Amino acid sequence: MSIKHSIRIAFKALKINKSRSFLTILGILIGITAIMMMMALGRGAEDLIIGEISSFGGEIIAINPGQEPTGPTDIAGALFADSLKAREVELLRQKSNVPYAKEVQPFVMVPGSASYEGETYTPMIMGGSADFFVRNFGIPIEEGNVFTEDDIKQKENVAVLGHKVKKELFGESDAVGKYIKIKDQKFKVVGIFVEKGVVAFFNMDELVIIPHTSAQSYILGTNYYQEIDVIAESADVVYQTAADIERTLREAHGISDPDKDDFYVTTMQGAAEQIQTIIATLTAFLSSVVAIALVVGGVGVMNIMLVSVTERTREIGLRKAVGATEKEIKQQFLLEAVLLTFIGGFVGIVLGGILSFLVALGLAQFVASNWSFSFPFSAILLGMGVTTLVGVVFGLYPAKKAAERSPIDALRYE
Amino acid sequence: MADKLIEAKNLRKVYGEADARTVAIDDISLDIDKGDFVAIMGPSGSGKSTLLHILALLDKPTEGTYIFDGRSIDKYSEDELAKLRNEKAGFVFQAFNLLPRTTVLENVELPLLYSDIKESDWQERALKAIRIVNLEHRLKHESAQLSGGEKQRVAIARALVNDPEIIFADEPTGNLDTKAGKDLMEIVANLNKEGKTIILVTHEEEIAEYAKRIIRVRDGKLESDTKTK
Repeated sequence: MSIKHSIRIAFKALKINKSRSFLTILGILIGITAIMMMMALGRGAEDLIIGEISSFGGEIIAINPGQEPTGPTDIAGALFADSLKAREVELLRQKSNVPYAKEVQPFVMVPGSASYEGETYTPMIMGGSADFFVRNFGIPIEEGNVFTEDDIKQKENVAVLGHKVKKELFGESDAVGKYIKIKDQKFKVVGIFVEKGVVAFFNMDELVIIPHTSAQSYILGTNYYQEIDVIAESADVVYQTAADIERTLREAHGISDPDKDDFYVTTMQGAAEQIQTIIATLTAFLSSVVAIALVVGGVGVMNIMLVSVTERTREIGLRKAVGATEKEIKQQFLLEAVLLTFIGGFVGIVLGGILSFLVALGLAQFVASNWSFSFPFSAILLGMGVTTLVGVVFGLYPAKKAAERSPIDALRYE
Repeated sequence: MADKLIEAKNLRKVYGEADARTVAIDDISLDIDKGDFVAIMGPSGSGKSTLLHILALLDKPTEGTYIFDGRSIDKYSEDELAKLRNEKAGFVFQAFNLLPRTTVLENVELPLLYSDIKESDWQERALKAIRIVNLEHRLKHESAQLSGGEKQRVAIARALVNDPEIIFADEPTGNLDTKAGKDLMEIVANLNKEGKTIILVTHEEEIAEYAKRIIRVRDGKLESDTKTK
């Protein structure tokens, strides 16, 4: 018998028991829809991260003092670790040590808040170079200007504000030229960043930047940095440069065992890869949990097919009596099972696509504005493959049972 | 002498084991020639249906040899038996056994699905068979819309569609009224006149009268075998 007729017979059989077929299909449909959503959202998250990395700063390497944090106490410790000072910056700036470093910039964190005429706001205050942000994070100045290298050298009390910080302290009135207060120190506002939002998981609008020299001398009273950022000449030499940095600092600190490092180096690429691995693992884990739903759906298919084989015992007998071979009967019932799961899979893929599109819209609206909808083609192939497989696996036993009935036993069945 | 289509020797059919053992057919031997019209008769439980099922290749004997069309059925594989049932034999059952929610035309075409005949020839063949049983006006009707007599005529058309050598009928008039039964037997008798071998099981004397030969079975044994015409 041709496949065409087998399919036609299978469709007819499913149509005769509409509600039963529908409920069986539903079992498969739910499982596939869930898997599709897992995969689409996982891919969306991955794309978001890759997008963040490629939109800027794949060349940025961060050096932090202390051991690589594995818990909250480590992070607290890092704030007071004093292994990165002016000497380290100088060493890293030497081409003989780190040949591909384009720029080396230290930063300090300044805890506390900023105020202006009774308005107080707690932004993220950093001591460093505003110019560094403009050039490397693609965040231009909207008003005024950045402070200069000279300002940094002279330990001038100047500040560049993030867009939101300006709004909070000054409202709509001019800020450039005014003085804000940070820990009893007056800082002249010289520039305002444009509104930028989150870049590399960091809200630029919440930022206040003052020279790190001023921050150290007038506010913190320390001589160490919380971070040194190194810009590699290109993304291709990031890993090379990270290795150069590690070697230079180990030499300077007399460290032979990397486990005893008093600093750690992070690249955006490395961080992105880690996050990608985490997301991929999570997606695979969640998908396999959902796959259990598919197995349950498959058992449902098997159950219904067994009922169908019993109900249609006379039909099987008749078909055998008029010349159907065991193979043809088996093929017909197997096809029916596969058709059930295939329909479930097809609708599940479409539904999964639509739902993940809606979820992506919601995420883009309320969580991450640059979240984009992405539906991997591999998910479609996987979905169709898995559903067909479920149909074959769970349809085989009922089909075999149908085929093995002797024609006369089947005809006698009441 | 006419060709032998069927040669059965010492057929036995036993169901169950030990205490539940029942002998349905006990040492029956018979030959049937091509073109014959045989009625197998007997009271219920006599084994007449079992005998027909064995002869019709739907069941296998426990013991004995059965030669169909010159070859012992032991020598046929399952697939070859399916092919024989498809091409050489047609079946008519007491309960009609039509496919539900399926038109007359599709029901008659059913055996063609499992044959080597080209799909383009199906309809023509089915129509020819339907014409023989006078149901051209019912082609698109589903089986539920037909009377009992019409259903059994569809079953005959289905049995005829592959132009078989022999037609087996198990109490074909059992579910029909007298008039419909007689009409059906006229059709069957005509088929025999045109050369088809017919074997039918019945317990009604007036149905058996259409046959050329009557075999009586009692308690699984052959009781008598008489030529009537």
